[in-house]
Amino acid sequence: MSQSLDAYLVVSGILFAIGTFGFLARRNAISMLMSIELMLNAVNLTIVSFGAFIPALNGTASVIALMVMAVAAAEATVGLAIVMAIYRNRRTPLVDEYDAMRQ
Amino acid sequence: MTWSDLTVIAPFAAVVVVAALVILADIVKPGNRHLALGVVLAGLAIVGLLTLWTGQAPGTAFGGMYKVDNLTTFLDVIFVAIVALSCLFAPDYLEPRGLPIAEFAAILVFALGGAMLVAASADLLVLFLGLELMVIPGYMLAGYHKRDALSTEGAVKYFLLGSFSSAIFLFGLAYVWGLTGSTRIADVAARVGEIVAGQATLSPGLAMGLAFLTTGVAFKMAAVPFHYWTPDAYQGSPTPVTGYLSVGPKVGAFAVVLRVFAEALLPLRQEWLIVIFVLAALTMTLGNLVALTQDNVKRMLAYSSIAHTGYMLVGLAAYAAGVIGGLEGLLFYGVAYTFMNLGAFAVIAALQKRPGVSSRLETFAGLGRREPVLGILMVLFLLSLTGIPPTAGFFAKAYVILAAVQAGGWLTVLAVIAVLNAAAAAFYYLRVIVYMYMRDPTGEPAPVAHGALLRLGLGITAVMTVILGLFPGLLLPSVSSAAQAIGVAIR
Repeated sequence: MSQSLDAYLVVSGILFAIGTFGFLARRNAISMLMSIELMLNAVNLTIVSFGAFIPALNGTASVIALMVMAVAAAEATVGLAIVMAIYRNRRTPLVDEYDAMRQ
Repeated sequence: MTWSDLTVIAPFAAVVVVAALVILADIVKPGNRHLALGVVLAGLAIVGLLTLWTGQAPGTAFGGMYKVDNLTTFLDVIFVAIVALSCLFAPDYLEPRGLPIAEFAAILVFALGGAMLVAASADLLVLFLGLELMVIPGYMLAGYHKRDALSTEGAVKYFLLGSFSSAIFLFGLAYVWGLTGSTRIADVAARVGEIVAGQATLSPGLAMGLAFLTTGVAFKMAAVPFHYWTPDAYQGSPTPVTGYLSVGPKVGAFAVVLRVFAEALLPLRQEWLIVIFVLAALTMTLGNLVALTQDNVKRMLAYSSIAHTGYMLVGLAAYAAGVIGGLEGLLFYGVAYTFMNLGAFAVIAALQKRPGVSSRLETFAGLGRREPVLGILMVLFLLSLTGIPPTAGFFAKAYVILAAVQAGGWLTVLAVIAVLNAAAAAFYYLRVIVYMYMRDPTGEPAPVAHGALLRLGLGITAVMTVILGLFPGLLLPSVSSAAQAIGVAIR
């Protein structure tokens, strides 16, 4: 286990970047949803590592991380429901085929 | 939790109770729209009164995480008005399409709770929680017509970009919290103040965190270049929902901006002034230019709402440059924009009472003769959106532009850009009026009867648009006391 906060922040930064890339590069709505979850997990890793290395932040870190998880769960629920609804209408999960509004 | 905590959060608690009661009412008498609407409107009236009552005695709750000041009260009253008006406009559109009204109202009231939490947050974490509680119901509402391909398409785009921006905002929040050691807005402001005063250095991590926060907020308020979701989400959503989305989350996003930029990051204002300057200029110009080319009135109003974000940002830039009038102008703009934009969408919703009527420009051909009252109201709202006196929109634009001129320097350029944009915007707003009065409709559809609630709502929005245009002074005392709550006179 590394003893430096920076190492953890770098890992979480890389995770966040992978999530961002996945969101921008993937065309499948479910993959995009997974990429967002990855970004939120990167945020949680950031929060928890700040909490582990800075004693003053120890207590609040777990509270914030738990709250982020709750919000992420709520978001994923609504998101999956919306993707289900559009799949029933359009029979495809690919977002670049959702172009009914471009004349 | 103490008794004083309860009195401070009374309006927020009441909102949650109202939402639960609406759901209960729908369980007891399924599909009874009179009961559901009665509960919602009575509940919102109580929430409004509670808000005014709590506003008399500003205070904090839960160890300083939740704060009621004049700004909170001011914004809460706007939010309650937005949700109440949206509930008045909805039945005429939802009923012919077989969409339930009780659930619509309940989701809307939950979103109101989120918006009120944002307005009352003294802590970045509460702010984030409120923001999510405000936007997640918005995703559901955008896809409310779940058998309609356009509605779900708008919802999926709104959801994906919305959650993406939330993740970015949260990443910024994590860094600001980790490096300032606090989520309290006052503590963050104090730490940032030390950095500006030269007692501490601005670490790269903190700078990055602030940049991420800015990006997240810019997405939420649909500022160019973070606006891509707006046109599709607005065009696809059911029209009463579009009306709500164009004002509710917009004013809510500005509440976030005020709490983050004008309060937590106030000491850094010279730095973010440049960012806001560029965002405002781009947002106004691109919003208006693209709106010029739209044939669909809902999509046109979506781009116009982007442009209005730009005008509001002019007020924020003027405030950053030291003119408190910019903050007042921004708040006045929020109120004026709420009534005129909701009114315009209500007219479209009224026209679409018959399912299958599109929101294309042709729908408006001959409207002035077919339905004279709706025609006159649409003219009023469009003139107000253009900014022609004596309507609310004129003073809204006048206040933000005046503040920018007072700030002087580079902000004069921003004021000139805003004036040029207002002139260009007249073209596409007036085009709808031309269609209404000077084009003959292709087929002559029989006029539909409009519900009493819709007429009441249209009456309220129209009267407010005119009153704020004739007597803007009526609103000024509350606007300036709200601005004083966070704005110290910088200069």
